[in-house]
Amino acid sequence: MGFLDTLFGRTKTVKQVRPDKLFALTTAALDLETAQGIVTTGEAAIVFQPLATGDFTQIADDAEAVLRDTGTETGTTVERRDDEFGYRWMVLRDPDVDDQVVGVNAVMESLQFGGYADRVLCAVFALRQTQQGGRPLHLVYLAKRGTWYPFVPVPGAEKERDRERELQLRAVLDPLMPLEPEMDRWYPLWGAPLGGA
Amino acid sequence: MSRGASFGRDPGLQTRMVGTLFGLGLLYVVFAAVLFAAMRNAGGAIVICLVLLLFQFFTADKLALRSMHAHEVSPAQAPELHAMIDRLCLQADLPKPKVAIADDRMPNAFAVGRSQKSSTVCVTTGLLELLPPAELEGVLAHELAHVAHRDVLVMTVASFFASLAAMIMQNAFWFGGGNRDNRDNGPGLLAVVAVSALVYAVSFFLLRALSRYREFAADRGAAIVTGRPSALAAALVRISDGIARTPDQDLREVGPVQAFYILPPRAKKAVSSLFSTHPPTEKRIAALQRIEAQLQAGRTV
Repeated sequence: MGFLDTLFGRTKTVKQVRPDKLFALTTAALDLETAQGIVTTGEAAIVFQPLATGDFTQIADDAEAVLRDTGTETGTTVERRDDEFGYRWMVLRDPDVDDQVVGVNAVMESLQFGGYADRVLCAVFALRQTQQGGRPLHLVYLAKRGTWYPFVPVPGAEKERDRERELQLRAVLDPLMPLEPEMDRWYPLWGAPLGGA
Repeated sequence: MSRGASFGRDPGLQTRMVGTLFGLGLLYVVFAAVLFAAMRNAGGAIVICLVLLLFQFFTADKLALRSMHAHEVSPAQAPELHAMIDRLCLQADLPKPKVAIADDRMPNAFAVGRSQKSSTVCVTTGLLELLPPAELEGVLAHELAHVAHRDVLVMTVASFFASLAAMIMQNAFWFGGGNRDNRDNGPGLLAVVAVSALVYAVSFFLLRALSRYREFAADRGAAIVTGRPSALAAALVRISDGIARTPDQDLREVGPVQAFYILPPRAKKAVSSLFSTHPPTEKRIAALQRIEAQLQAGRTV
């Protein structure tokens, strides 16, 4: 926020999402699979805050319909899940990461086009670490900042994350995709309604 | 940018805030001029006042938290609260503040801290018990909007000269030294104290007005970030009912941090609105209703 915004107490939300950096995953996914044995669980989601207005419902429904239409070609299926915090997870199921990325991008763009880019929270890609007994790993894309971070929940433990593994992955991912530099913003997403969580 | 461009704008509020700031600025310029003229006698005392005020500025947040018996909580201790603040910070693109809980039955929340990074958002146990998740989220977003708007810093800077004036009034004798010899060179002690009193009195009302505008602005910010103005309005109703029902003895301890509360603890009807740090709840709800109307109209209003 600028000086004048502070002086007048104006809240500004980010009106633009940055889908451009989203596509970093398509190349990174190959490297992750061959070098690290990290593969997709076949689920990815775009997370946004639904507004209780007719206008927004219309735009969200349209986005979903478009996704279903293109999904018949690529084999992507869509499911809508609401979490306990009132956020909506539009979950895309597809064994191909590229198709997931394309789908997530489509939803982001239609929300952006409808003027609701500020409602997008993030996109989450569910992955599995085959070398670590198939432990779950989430790659989170902060759409407004255009940055990524890994989130590794400890399976079986209540709300515990594997910081060590996340830092290892940071080193692995750093050359592949733009990572969120401020680790304070590596927010956990507990109870994500995604496969493998 | 057709949609969303005007949602959350309030030119009227901006105008009133500019007016208030202008009034304060004018007042302070006059006051500074008088002080400068009196500098020859009282330079040392003014420097001491400045140091004291700076000290206050750097310790105020800790004092406020301690006076509320608030303790910081880790994500493990309050997972839901942390998760909610995580999401709001993501949504508002803010660094995450510290989270504290005060063991108090009175439902309330406040934010302290000089900068966005060093701020703390505190809620009372009463608030956590009283509000359902969506309304709690609205209140937290309001406090985060205070953080985003740097309200503690703005109010501290805005009240700087008023605090100085108050100090000069209280410690008039400091400024008396060596006054006799060069009476002709500057205004006397009496004049400085009189001007200080006047500055304090006028700035008191201006600062209270500014504080009320900042509240409206924070409500608006919360509505923009959560997209649910009515949830915050519902929370305000519930909290003011809750405060009305809370026994009086709880209220005595809460004086110092009043300005940063979501609602003032003493909701006395008799107190004139001029003296209040917070706008009346009905007005805040009406303002939130207008935002809801804008939102429902597809944000094109």
